[in-house]
Amino acid sequence: MRVRRISREAALALALGLLALVLLARAPGFFAAGNLANLALDNLPLVVAASGMTLVILVGEIDVSIGAQFALAGVLVGLLVKLGLPLWLAAPLVLAAGTLLGALQGLLVARGVPAIVVTLASLAILRGALRWSTGGRWIAELPPGFQWFGLGQARGQLLATALVVLLVGATAAGLRWLRAGRALYAVGCDAEAARLLGIASARVKLAALALMGFFAAAAGMLSAVRYPAIEIEAGTGLELAAIACVVLGGASIHGGRGTLFGTLLGTLLFGALGTALVFLGVDAAYERAIQGAVILAALLPEVVAHLRGARELARG
Amino acid sequence: MAETPLEGRGERRALAAVLALEVLFFAFCSERFATLANAFEVVRATAELGLVALAMQLVMKSGGIDLSLGALMGLAAVTLGASHAAGAPLALAVPLALAVGALGGALNGALVVAGVPPFLATLAGLALFRGLAEGWTGGYAVYSGFPAGFLALGQDYWFGFLPPQAVLFALVSLAAWLALQRAPFGRRLEALGFAPGAARHAGIGVARLRLGVYVLAGLGAALAGVLYVAHLGQAKADAGSGWELAAITVAVLGGTSLDGGKGRVESTLLALACIGVLQNGLLVTGSPSELATVLLGVLLLFTVAVRRTVLAGGPSATASSALDMRNSQLAVLVAAILVGALVIAASNAWLVRRLTAGGVAASGAAPTAQRIEVALMPKNKSDPYFASCKQGAEEAARELGVQLLWEGPNDTDAARQNEVVEAWITRGVDVIGVSVENAASISTVLRKARAQGIRVLTWDADAEPDARDFFVNQATAEGIGFGLADEAGRVLGGKGAFAIVTATLTAANQNAWIEHIKTRLATKWPGLSIAALRPSDGLRDKALTETKAILRAHPEVKLVMVIAAAAVPGAAEAVKQERSDAKVIGLSVPSLCRSYVHEGIITSILLWNTLDLGYLTVTAAEAVARGRLAAGATTFQAGRLGALAVEGDNVILGVPFRFDASNIDQFEF
Repeated sequence: MRVRRISREAALALALGLLALVLLARAPGFFAAGNLANLALDNLPLVVAASGMTLVILVGEIDVSIGAQFALAGVLVGLLVKLGLPLWLAAPLVLAAGTLLGALQGLLVARGVPAIVVTLASLAILRGALRWSTGGRWIAELPPGFQWFGLGQARGQLLATALVVLLVGATAAGLRWLRAGRALYAVGCDAEAARLLGIASARVKLAALALMGFFAAAAGMLSAVRYPAIEIEAGTGLELAAIACVVLGGASIHGGRGTLFGTLLGTLLFGALGTALVFLGVDAAYERAIQGAVILAALLPEVVAHLRGARELARG
Repeated sequence: MAETPLEGRGERRALAAVLALEVLFFAFCSERFATLANAFEVVRATAELGLVALAMQLVMKSGGIDLSLGALMGLAAVTLGASHAAGAPLALAVPLALAVGALGGALNGALVVAGVPPFLATLAGLALFRGLAEGWTGGYAVYSGFPAGFLALGQDYWFGFLPPQAVLFALVSLAAWLALQRAPFGRRLEALGFAPGAARHAGIGVARLRLGVYVLAGLGAALAGVLYVAHLGQAKADAGSGWELAAITVAVLGGTSLDGGKGRVESTLLALACIGVLQNGLLVTGSPSELATVLLGVLLLFTVAVRRTVLAGGPSATASSALDMRNSQLAVLVAAILVGALVIAASNAWLVRRLTAGGVAASGAAPTAQRIEVALMPKNKSDPYFASCKQGAEEAARELGVQLLWEGPNDTDAARQNEVVEAWITRGVDVIGVSVENAASISTVLRKARAQGIRVLTWDADAEPDARDFFVNQATAEGIGFGLADEAGRVLGGKGAFAIVTATLTAANQNAWIEHIKTRLATKWPGLSIAALRPSDGLRDKALTETKAILRAHPEVKLVMVIAAAAVPGAAEAVKQERSDAKVIGLSVPSLCRSYVHEGIITSILLWNTLDLGYLTVTAAEAVARGRLAAGATTFQAGRLGALAVEGDNVILGVPFRFDASNIDQFEF
């Protein structure tokens, strides 16, 4: 098992390296410090969402409602700030609300309702409720203290980046060294065995989904503070993008295997590709086909290894 | 624990109960709901999704998942359209499209057999197939002009009432039921889903079976694509976008498990019926479609809860009785939510009825003064552009005492537009006004509405002329394209490069504007060139990323032209963060752009007054219904807008308006 995981991450690195080589030859402007910084900045919300998704997938569950949670967090924080609450007070409230929402879903999942059912349901309910209550109108005319936390663009971007680095770093460390982090892996590998070892599997799953709610709310707010108004349809398709980053990063969709580092690599490939294609001057119509081909290419070493393994098995 | 016929009975009972409840409820709310004709409309509206859902159920039962089915549908549709346009007879084009579906499925299957997780393999497939369809057509090519015999498959009625796709769908369902529930194939599939290792040891050719499952699923999706083309009368690369999630929802509601092994054809069909009836019923009773989305979520939870409690006496021996009790509490909770939601819907419908009745009573004996019901459809309900049109429409409705229904897709979806119009015909509204996504497909149903005595208008974007009474014309595509090109020329001083950020590459309106922009550049502005054309999906976030990339990759670009309302502020934010020497122009709503216009980032935006457009449409609808506006009119007295010109059957709002720093504060929308 260990060999396979390394091979996925290596394959990703290889795909990234190839992409970098092509860019270096054809569009070296891509590597300008400003562009790279931009790329990182624009992908902050996706990094946060994918980090949360890693936790959920590690315990063998899935959350397809994060796009709606993401939009809800943006709208909530906007409404609170418009009510006159300062951002430093509104943000923790929204994070708490997001965590609560995630915990509610987690409660149902811990009771044994399949996660796909719970989160599909809450995706439908949240999106429908958001559209219904706002009528598609954006939350506009926010106070000037909202965009970039009222710090101005440069310092605001720095703060946002620092927050994300802190959050993701803490999560990675927790996964690696904390007992609770290891419990996620144990439950993902075999929930029943973990339970017999004294790990409260149901509670761990609840916690993973609650954390996902926290991460989705954080991502939604990080995305929202970049603008002076709040979009209602934000986060459309975010669930699939986040899951793709995680699974591309080598995590098993059945749980128990995966690292945050792999997720970051996956996000890097996923996030950089679109911008890279603009720099290479590729016609936008072919973009998705190329995306598909790149994902396939990143999977190729694994397929080869699997086939070789099967052949050896047959021979031996 | 292989599935016995008894298992899954609980969920089927739950679904059947929900279905019965829905039918009773809607029949109570509207006497027009419970008719055979409306039942067939529900089948017509759900047949294609049903095919994809059956395919999805097949794959999920084998323990996999197929995210690429919607994309395969699009690729099959484009294959059919392109080969027909290239002169191939349909007898060749249709099998070709089906073969492409099977081939795509085979690629998925081969990857899965080679050890790639199904989720990842089909995710790559999703991007690849949709990308191939888009690349092949450039996103904008639309194939139509199919022979009437083929279109009849999707649009006609056999014996005057039976939609052909209902028959086809029934046949496919029967075949699927026989194969999965009555043949060895189904048992093998179940074994594969429950325990692939054990299945292999039991002598089942696991690899071949898996491959076969994905090929069959691809074939099903391709068949759905062919039906979709017949239904809408056109083939385009965006067919089936996002359907994978809808299909998963149907399958999961029917009790199919992501873990494999479970799933029955009749349960999936019941689930499809529950969803279809819910959507249709809410439309017929005039409730907002968001309610359908919310109720669908509640329904998912509800059936699962019922399944777990009704079945609790059976096989769940491992669960403690305490857990069962909590499950029943859960069921009670969810049931309470469902009942609450239904009460809201009922009171809504009730209120509408009472208001209508009250309107008649108040306006006295004259039957002609009855309260008129106008049903307006935007292209995309959640687009801020249409949200501001709605404001104007509501203003006119209040002024004239008109009952206004506002309903439409939440993303640009031609099939959904047809579905809503069908429901309005059943409801028997007085006037239908549509902002048309796809002229070829909607014209058929609009003609049907006219044949039943409903007056039909189009607004914002037109249908075929014989399918409507009047077109409320805010500005022509030519006017917009030329206006934007001239504005670009003015800002750049006649020389230089600019970039275009559009909605999606398949958006019909935007593509028409781009064509006119190019024409204008060629004739009037030879010094201008388009450096890049990028999609934003109409999302602000994506517009931000795309615009930043454009500005970095093309230093020569000094102007970004954005032709999707929600994308303009995204591009403006990108320019603000990136470069002080670039400007933004485009098409958007003043309220979204105000701050950027004042900061000097957005030079100008071009748009008609959207409030007035909504206002005018409702005013014209009322006038048409009352006979104040009839064919041959040359002017039209439109309330606070004064006298407007009528050219032929077009009611003209006026030329597009240019918003800039000097005047934008006068506009509230």
